Formats: sequence, C-alpha cells, structure tokens
Amino acid sequence: MSAALPIPLIQLLQVLTVAVGAPGVTGVIAKVEARLQGRRGPRIPQPYYDLAKLFRKEALAPEGASWFFLAAPLVAVAAYLTIPLLIPVLTTYGLPLGYMGDILGGGFLLSLASFVVATAALETGSPYAQLGSSRAKTFSAITEPVVLFVVFTVALLTGTDLPYALAATVRSSAGQIIRPAHLLAAAALFMVILHETGRIPVETHTGTNEFGMIEEARSFEHSGPYLALLKWASELKQLILFTILADVFLAPWGLASTQRLDAVILAIVALLAKACAVGCVVAVIDDSFAKLRLFKITEYVSAAFLIAVLGVFTLYLGGG
Amino acid sequence: MDPTQAPGVYEGAANVIAAVMLLIEFGLLRQSLARDQIRLYMAQSALISVLAIVIAADRNLPDLYALAALSAALKVVAVPLVMRRLLGRTDPIEGEEAPGVAGSQTLSPASAVLAGIVLAAIGFFCFGALKIHGPAAPALALALAAAMVLVSFGLMIVRRDVASQAIGFFTLENAISLAALVVASGLPLILETAFLFDLLVAVVVFGMLIRAAHGRSESLSTADLTRLRG
Repeated sequence: MSAALPIPLIQLLQVLTVAVGAPGVTGVIAKVEARLQGRRGPRIPQPYYDLAKLFRKEALAPEGASWFFLAAPLVAVAAYLTIPLLIPVLTTYGLPLGYMGDILGGGFLLSLASFVVATAALETGSPYAQLGSSRAKTFSAITEPVVLFVVFTVALLTGTDLPYALAATVRSSAGQIIRPAHLLAAAALFMVILHETGRIPVETHTGTNEFGMIEEARSFEHSGPYLALLKWASELKQLILFTILADVFLAPWGLASTQRLDAVILAIVALLAKACAVGCVVAVIDDSFAKLRLFKITEYVSAAFLIAVLGVFTLYLGGG
Repeated sequence: MDPTQAPGVYEGAANVIAAVMLLIEFGLLRQSLARDQIRLYMAQSALISVLAIVIAADRNLPDLYALAALSAALKVVAVPLVMRRLLGRTDPIEGEEAPGVAGSQTLSPASAVLAGIVLAAIGFFCFGALKIHGPAAPALALALAAAMVLVSFGLMIVRRDVASQAIGFFTLENAISLAALVVASGLPLILETAFLFDLLVAVVVFGMLIRAAHGRSESLSTADLTRLRG
C-alpha cells in the first residue's frame, strides 16, 4: 500500500496540490464568510465552476493593447506555479529544486507576477484598471520593507534564508515557537498577507465599488480565458501565502518526512486543512472589521512594520 | 548570545508578554479616543499581572501571586474606573468631540509610530549595552521595558490633551513595574506594594489636573496653557 514515491513525482504533487486546491480554499473562505453574515453563500466548488465557465468564453482585448496584455496572465500563473517548488508544501526535507531559490527568490517571483499584471492593466487605457495598478504598486512599495524585516528575522533565527530551515527550526522545540521574534514575524507576515490578498482592512474582497478597489481593479479589461487565468492566479497567490504562513511559520507539522504514499497524502490533506483554517480566521476578520480609508492604509502598514522591526530588535539582545 | 538558540519556554513567555506590552504602548500612540486608550491601558495592566504570575510560577515566589492580584485590582479595575468617572464628569461641549480625544495628536499616527520606533530603538539598545545579565534578569524583557519608558514619554509629548498624558504616565508606571519584575522579582512584597500605591498619588494629581484644566478652559487640551507663559 504505502509504496515510496519517486522524488520528482512529489515535487510535481506540490505544484498540483496548490494549483488544484487554490480555488477550493477560496470557495471555503467565501462559504464561511457568507455563513458568518447569515447568508447561505455560494457552493464551495463555485470558484471551479467560475473558472470553467470563463475558460469557455471568448477573449477580447482593448484596441491598441499589445501582446503584453495577453501574455501577462500566463506569466503571472507561471510565476505562481513556480513558487510551490521553493517552499515546503508537502515535505519536511528539501526537494531537489527546492534550493533553486530562497525566500527572496520566492519574493521576486511574487513581485514579478504582480508587476506584469499591473503593467498589463496600464496597457488597456481603462482608468479604473490603471488606478488599481497604480494603487497596488504604491502600497506594495510600502509593504516591501515589512517583508524584508520578516526575512531578516528568519535569517537571524536560522542563519540561512531558506524556508525549509525555518520550518525545521520551529519544529525543533517549544522554545522556538514561543520566542517573541518568531511570533512577531509571523504576526507581521499575517498582516502583509491580508494586504496582499486584498482582504478587509485594506480592500473589500467582493466589492463592486471601483473607487475602493486596489488589486481587484487590475483585471477589469481582461476577458474569457485570460480573466480566468488572472482569477486563478489570485487564488494561487492566496494559497501560496497561506502555505508560507502555515507551513513555515505557524504550524509546520503534518508534513511528510518520508517518501511514502500515505505520508504524502496525509500531507496534502493537512495542508488544505491548515489553509482552510487560516482562511476561516481571515473570513472572521473580514466580517468583523471595516475597510480602512485609502489614506489610512499607511497606518495599517506602519503597524505591521513596527511589529516586524520589533521582531528583529528582540533578536539582537539574545533571548528573542 | 547566539540568536539561533531559543531561550526556555518561561523566558520566552516573559519576553513575549513584554513585547506585547510594548505593542500596546504603540497602540496608545495611534488610538484617538480616550475610552479606547483606557481599554488598552487595562489590557496592558492585565498583562503585567500575567507576567507576575508567570515569574511566580517559574521562580517559585509565592508572594508574587499576591502582587499580581493587587496590581490587577488596582490597575485593571480601580484606575480605569476613576479615569472613566473623571472623563465622564467633563461633559462634552456643543460642537466639540467627546472629551480628551481626537485631534490632540501633533503628529500623524503613522509618523508618530515611526518616531516611536526610533525612541524604542534608542531605549532598547542603550539598555542592551548595559549588559545587565543574570539568571533573574532576561536582558530582552528589561530592554523592552526601557523602550516602553521612552515610548510612553513620546506619547505624553505628542499628545496635547491631559487624558492621554495621564494614560501615558500610567503606562510609564507599568513599564517601570515590568523592569522591576524582571530585575528584582525577589523584592519584598511590602516594597512592591508601596510602589504600586505611588500610582494612586499620580491618579489623584492627574485627576486634579483634568478637573482644573476643564474647569478653567472647558477643554482638556494643554495647548491653552501655553498662553500662561511669563
């Protein structure tokens, strides 16, 4: 029954788990959010149906848009599908391609994807898409220092900047979990994730008011399969960020430590369960806070920055 | 110390509590409503009682349990109650916000937080340089307490209303209690209690200040006092 899987297959499974699981996690979050609001909510597989419907539709591009407009969704999805190779999705041991890039490499891929989508939005000439991409870039410029400080914390904690090393460190003892540096870095990362996935203190996820939109507005001019790719890309991004939070920082347990089939299947289930748990927290936050005014987002980011900086501080005196 | 080495669970917990207290101090910098400030102060005071319990359990000092209870009764219940009554008595004036609140910031919250980070860094690294080590003094919690002292000074400086300044002063006392707990947790209970009652004097003084400021200028803002300069 529990045969050993070849390493390349496990590596492929990491990508497939994220690729196939991402819309499902979005569906679970939408369901939980609706239930908390007293609505029945969409079916959990609804995001899959949406994607299937969009893939069957015709694609249109605005007049004057170049090839870049159509290539951007493909590049974005490709970038997001590369990241699961670099982070511990299913295994505790590093897979061969896992050392291809460190945390910064993953960060570069994330920003590459968001850069091409923003540039494609600029191609369209539509004011709302341009407004969204300009806002998205403005705010990602101020969240960047937070991410850097989180990376510094990881680097100081482990002496490397490999996600696998941090997960192993966190697993090693209870003292590693309760130390302030680790908790502060995880909290700052969580705040950044809320920002990056367009969740409530920053952006209304399901809103239809263009003036409040940041990330959502960027895909206004895409249609058909390209829109489907962009939607899928944002779901992938969400699951990837949740995976980093859960498997690297908060709960790196349940990962497969061997190549046995049952361990890997258990790891897939555990990953999706952890992502849904993080998603439930996000849904609760979504339902219990109001969206910040656009110019108050700097305050939110400065709070995240403060937490990340304190995390680095605490390490310098030892005992952090 | 090598940062890749984790401290023990108790020390880690003490450090986390100290770090959260510092974060609450920053929350006070941002918070603009007096009642929310009082709520944050209550949370911070509750944390210091929790810390006393953690240290009592770790170092086997039973009298710290008594201190924790006393400190909770005083700082989580009594002082906020008195502050609320004092602020409740200063009725809001027509066309003005509730007493002692929004608009008293001299810096925008984001800049105040950035300035606070600099202050915290100064306090933190200055105390770190003192190299106060020992089995009873986690260097980190002590440095965090020093950072809190400076940030609460910062809070008192950037706010113009007496209520925020009072809360800033009370949190200053919290910071000093934190330092006292981590450095000298074996201090006799009677001394610790005496320090705790110093807080009551501060409450009385600030209460008089709030009432005097409000009675004279119908506002809690200290900006009105600048005219009194000789």
